[in-house]
Amino acid sequence: MTSSSPSTRQQRRQRSWSLYTEQRKPSEYEIVTHRLNYHFRRAPAPFELDPDMPLNRWYLRYREGSPFQVDDWEGFRDPARLTYRAYIQRQRERELYLDNLIDEFERRDHFALLKPDWVCFLEHLYLPSRFAGHVLQMVSLYVSQMAPSSYITVAFHFQGADEMRRVQRSAYVAKALSLAHYQELADSQKTRAIWETTPAWQPARELLEKLLIAYDWGEAFTALALVTKPVYDAFFNEQLGTLARLNGDDLLALMADDFALDQKRHQDTARALVLYALERKPELRTTLNGWVAKWAPAAHRAVEGLATFFSWAPHPLEKKAVVQAVGQRLQDFLKECQLSL
Amino acid sequence: MPKLSRPDYYDLTRDMNWRLTYVSEKEAFPPELAGDDYGIPPAEWWKWDEPYKLTYREYMQNQAEKDTMSYSVKSAIARSHLFDQVDAGWKAAIAAHYGAIAIPEYQASFGEARMARFGRAAAWRNMATFGTLDETRHGQIQLFFPHELLGKNPQFDWAHKAFHTNEWGAIAARHLFDDMFTANHALGTAIQLTFTFETGFTNLQFLGMAADAMHVGDVEFGALISSIQTDEARHAQQGEPTLKILVRNGKKAEAQRLVDVMFWRSWRIFCLLTGLSMDYYTPLEHRSMSFKEFMEEWIIKQFMDQFRDLGMDTPWYWNTFIDELDWYHHGLHLGVWFWRPTVWWNPDAGVGPAERDWLEAKYPGWNDTWGKRWDVITENARKGEITKTLPQTLPIICNLCQIPIITPANPGRQQELDPYVTEYGGRRYLFCSEPCKWIFDQNPGRYAGHKTVVDRFLAGEIQPPTLEGALAYMGGPHLVGGRDADDFAWARDPVLAGTR
Repeated sequence: MTSSSPSTRQQRRQRSWSLYTEQRKPSEYEIVTHRLNYHFRRAPAPFELDPDMPLNRWYLRYREGSPFQVDDWEGFRDPARLTYRAYIQRQRERELYLDNLIDEFERRDHFALLKPDWVCFLEHLYLPSRFAGHVLQMVSLYVSQMAPSSYITVAFHFQGADEMRRVQRSAYVAKALSLAHYQELADSQKTRAIWETTPAWQPARELLEKLLIAYDWGEAFTALALVTKPVYDAFFNEQLGTLARLNGDDLLALMADDFALDQKRHQDTARALVLYALERKPELRTTLNGWVAKWAPAAHRAVEGLATFFSWAPHPLEKKAVVQAVGQRLQDFLKECQLSL
Repeated sequence: MPKLSRPDYYDLTRDMNWRLTYVSEKEAFPPELAGDDYGIPPAEWWKWDEPYKLTYREYMQNQAEKDTMSYSVKSAIARSHLFDQVDAGWKAAIAAHYGAIAIPEYQASFGEARMARFGRAAAWRNMATFGTLDETRHGQIQLFFPHELLGKNPQFDWAHKAFHTNEWGAIAARHLFDDMFTANHALGTAIQLTFTFETGFTNLQFLGMAADAMHVGDVEFGALISSIQTDEARHAQQGEPTLKILVRNGKKAEAQRLVDVMFWRSWRIFCLLTGLSMDYYTPLEHRSMSFKEFMEEWIIKQFMDQFRDLGMDTPWYWNTFIDELDWYHHGLHLGVWFWRPTVWWNPDAGVGPAERDWLEAKYPGWNDTWGKRWDVITENARKGEITKTLPQTLPIICNLCQIPIITPANPGRQQELDPYVTEYGGRRYLFCSEPCKWIFDQNPGRYAGHKTVVDRFLAGEIQPPTLEGALAYMGGPHLVGGRDADDFAWARDPVLAGTR
């Protein structure tokens, strides 16, 4: 064995990673995100262990074996192009904003002045949504760990954190309400019981529990990002925000508006990923539409169930109109993705 | 500021545990992904309680401050020529570090995401969600910094490239980290990554390197490493509550086994990364402690105290481990230096006269043992016979840890010279040590179908079947690294030449 002589050694001054083969100079986002999922399509198996060990089999079945494949995922870019530090800066600003909002409303005794019927409505719809939001957090992080490209992984890591963000604010509201109205609002057992047993919640809980076991990476992405979240976010950010304004709960409405910023970013990611895939492999439209058709009915039933609560509000919204509006948002979003129900 | 503080509402941020109705526990938490539940009821798992609590809002605040600091140090440094002046041995240490660690940090986000999805308690899943973000940060920051150094040294390409190659060190690191988290279930990850590796060992790597970096004057690297370690301390806390639940529910033996496996494996990789760096690459005048002293302080004293407080025992192979503190990493260093064309950095031999005095002081008897091998190398180097300082064959590689087999082979040492052997499924497996063999034998299905790089060579998978073919198979580390860091200046030192 000989040490290589200077003439065979790399002399050219290197501008970026040797595995970054695009013509353009990479952005910071690309420098730290490009081609990190080295295990995708690795032979004989993704991980450097026995090829048949459980996680190798799992990834080969649900990731490499998914119908949702293109030749190369590394050309995908999340529209927001978020690095960790950009994400943190952005969300730190948003969190400061929400803190200031809450502070301002608390000075006006906001929680104490909410009407009892409205509080009862919140108890049954808004408070238990932390269970639902937690599932969205879990599934987001499933999609991220199963994604073929680091560009997708990182976007869904952030998405999971965003879901946790929304959940934690609702936990704050639960406690604040309980101090102003009644103890049960901060009783985990009571809130869990609503989530587990109230009939209007069951279609949503069923949808979300089944979402947990959609293990094919393409189906998990579709069911989460193309069906469940567009519907859930339209309901909990938009429709609930509208209802809150009608009922004098401007704090909740403004919070929902802020979560709608995260929602937009999530939809931008999902849309971009679908369009990227369809551009490379138009026949994937059939695959994706198939999954959409499979999951949409359950999502529809979930909204129908939850919209029932809207009639509890002192100034209600008609259930049929809410369901219709949410359904329309889903249709519009799918159309933007060149998909359809 | 909002009226309520964290303790007022914290329990409501983590009470999202419930009995599944529409799918089964087993479907939603399959043992391959979640780990065995060991018959422990879900409500027991729901008692999982993290020592260090924080909310999303606090996380954003804390982390924004940290990154502002790290990246501003970085841009200040970029304007200086600090890196150009840094010692060649130190360059070896950081080139090795970035290559071996940058991608695994990002991959640890998969391990954290595994717990965030398949952990059996909402509190655990929340902490793991923060951990997912942390590891994303660590991967990104440890890619961004070396990327900026690419123009100065192509070795830093390996910060990104290493895990795409079959370089033997990359294989060893992948095998370890896939076992530990990328291809592990949530329970295993909590105990093996967050508890065993992070609480125990990364303290060593990161704090040790931060201290050395500051001494060396590599302010940027030192600040980076310290900043990473503050995140680590937080997400490493997931191990303890998980262990407590296992121990409380009569599963101490299962927990012990998980720890024993990964403690040994962590030890092995730490010898490779930290042992060589602390005792051979870091410039002598900047060494704070020897590797053995550091291990004694951080592992044997501090970590083991914490360990015993949890009701766990020292691993069964403890005496083997203690014995190895005196010799294993010295052998590994000799091997890595000798087979240097196979690594992407330029190993510092670290055996000039002053260095040898230091080694003798820290490891009495070093000159009579390792020193005698280096004497031969030194003499050949001094005469300009460099070819004699390079190997003509491949070493035997352990079928578990993927690291070449090292034995002390000294007169008077009661050590096995032959590798440890397991026959399984008609194939013969060789191991460097009793613990590596034990790890394999505990769970052969996890490892048996894998081949070391030397197995592949012998099976004809590496073509051409020459040393050049092997180097090409490994991704060409010798094209950027593989030279003695000082170009043998240490061997031409008149003091050394005259007295030995």
